[in-house]
Amino acid sequence: MIKIDHLTKRYSDTLAVDDLDFEVKPGVVTGFLGPNGSGKSTTMRIILGLDHATKGQATVNGMRYAELKDPIREVGALLDAKAVHPGRTARNHLRALAVSNQIRKSRVDEVLDFVGISAVANKKVGTYSLGMSQRLGIAGALLGDPGILLFDEPVNGLDPEGIKWIREFFRALANEGRTVFVSSHLMSEMAVSADEIIVIGRGRFITSGSVNDLTKNAEGTVLARASDHEKLSAVVASNHGVVHESNDEGLTISGLTSDQVGRLAFNAGITIFELTPQRASLEEVFMDLTAGAVEYGSQKSDPAHGQ
Amino acid sequence: MANESTLMATTKSEWLKFRTVRSSIMGVAVTVLLTIGLGVLITTLVRTHWTQLSPLRVATFDPVSSSLRGSLFAQFAVGVIGTLFITSEYTSGSIRTTLTAVPNRLRLIAGKCIVLLVTMLILGEFVCFAAFLIGQRIYLGVVPTASITNGTVLRSVILAGLYLALLALFAFALGLILRQSAAAISVFVSVLLIVPIIGLFFPQNWQNDFTRFEPSTLGVSMQSPFAPSNSFGAWSATLILLAYVLGTMAVALVLFQRRDAGSNQ
Repeated sequence: MIKIDHLTKRYSDTLAVDDLDFEVKPGVVTGFLGPNGSGKSTTMRIILGLDHATKGQATVNGMRYAELKDPIREVGALLDAKAVHPGRTARNHLRALAVSNQIRKSRVDEVLDFVGISAVANKKVGTYSLGMSQRLGIAGALLGDPGILLFDEPVNGLDPEGIKWIREFFRALANEGRTVFVSSHLMSEMAVSADEIIVIGRGRFITSGSVNDLTKNAEGTVLARASDHEKLSAVVASNHGVVHESNDEGLTISGLTSDQVGRLAFNAGITIFELTPQRASLEEVFMDLTAGAVEYGSQKSDPAHGQ
Repeated sequence: MANESTLMATTKSEWLKFRTVRSSIMGVAVTVLLTIGLGVLITTLVRTHWTQLSPLRVATFDPVSSSLRGSLFAQFAVGVIGTLFITSEYTSGSIRTTLTAVPNRLRLIAGKCIVLLVTMLILGEFVCFAAFLIGQRIYLGVVPTASITNGTVLRSVILAGLYLALLALFAFALGLILRQSAAAISVFVSVLLIVPIIGLFFPQNWQNDFTRFEPSTLGVSMQSPFAPSNSFGAWSATLILLAYVLGTMAVALVLFQRRDAGSNQ
């Protein structure tokens, strides 16, 4: 269990995290979603005691991270896969971590096996590809067999096979009753790998809930193709609907359900050729939610490539 | 008890980290090479030119410190070892991994300092004793020699080794403050080489006061059986150098506790 309690972090002139307040529960995969620069990594660093909170606090299992006796036995984290001395071998890197938290030596080979880098464990980390470093980072996070796991943008640098592997891996960890907290700027990734999602933008809380809830509550649109588009537009407009687009393909209507549009058309004597409810994709919901919260957005803001 | 065992665990982990990177191994090799190699070179030159030396040089000749001169070059190698032990954590970003494993920052630095002090003390004493013994062997028969059984001579050799260990800690503290290899090594070298040059621009009477406080002058005092002119005695020099190290380390610790460690600089 991770608890974020009115957390605020200010770097000299920027407010990186602004009064965040939420909990991450065990047994599910919780996605931490926001555009780049929205404060996800900062929040994770404060959870791990690397950065100091300006106000509020973050606790794990009711304690501040720095108070934990052998912390990596309780919390495993992968923040930055390349944050390893390049001149040291993977095995020695993990052995040093194990020794510092009094973890038995044989565990090092277990996690190396598990992430599939045993064959290169005696090579210097500097020679690793990003994908291999990512796997080493995961091995480090699992080393202490912790009940809480934090991953910052874990799919970056993984090949499709690795991405599939890591999704199943998160699911398995959660099924074992662990707390799994995964950040990403990719809504599509979170849609398939997370159960619960917490959305932030510009350091502020935007919304949270299950993936289903988030798309259900989002405003969907209805695509209508009819005999008389002009008349239908007028009828829709006079019944609190909004017509977004009108062309040969049909009308894109929001504010009304497909049932309501069908009934209005029938009453007005308009023949409907096609009536399709268009449920908002999670991606669109995300774009809507974080609109204006993208720190480095281009004109055509695309959070998937918002580097 | 619990705290003792965890400081032990931290120290063991840091020892493993220290010996598994090439920079430490190279640094140790260079220290051995410079102290003993230059010791052999210097003592051999003294032996071959002994009869040509002026009576004043002969009268003031010190077989102890002359055989230990190589350590004043090795101090740079030792400084690089100390600096890189902490700055490589910042340049590689591994400080974040290190601090998630050991979030108690005081304990982390204590562990690192124990590793550095013990290894550098063993290294420093080894190279200084070796340079001294080999040097006396080279002098034998031509140049007056000193015996290690003499208390003052023994002190000089031991303090010469301690000097190297203290400089490694000083460089480590600079590294912790500056968090950047190049910057920390530059400052370290400046303190040892450039500051004495600045001293030369001072009026003569200031210069004597200034020079004897310089770390390298303190080093010469520490390895000399008799205090050189305008210098502190061996024990006073040791205490002054220790004060430098502790002062710098205190500043480094305060900054380290207050700073965020996670963000990229």
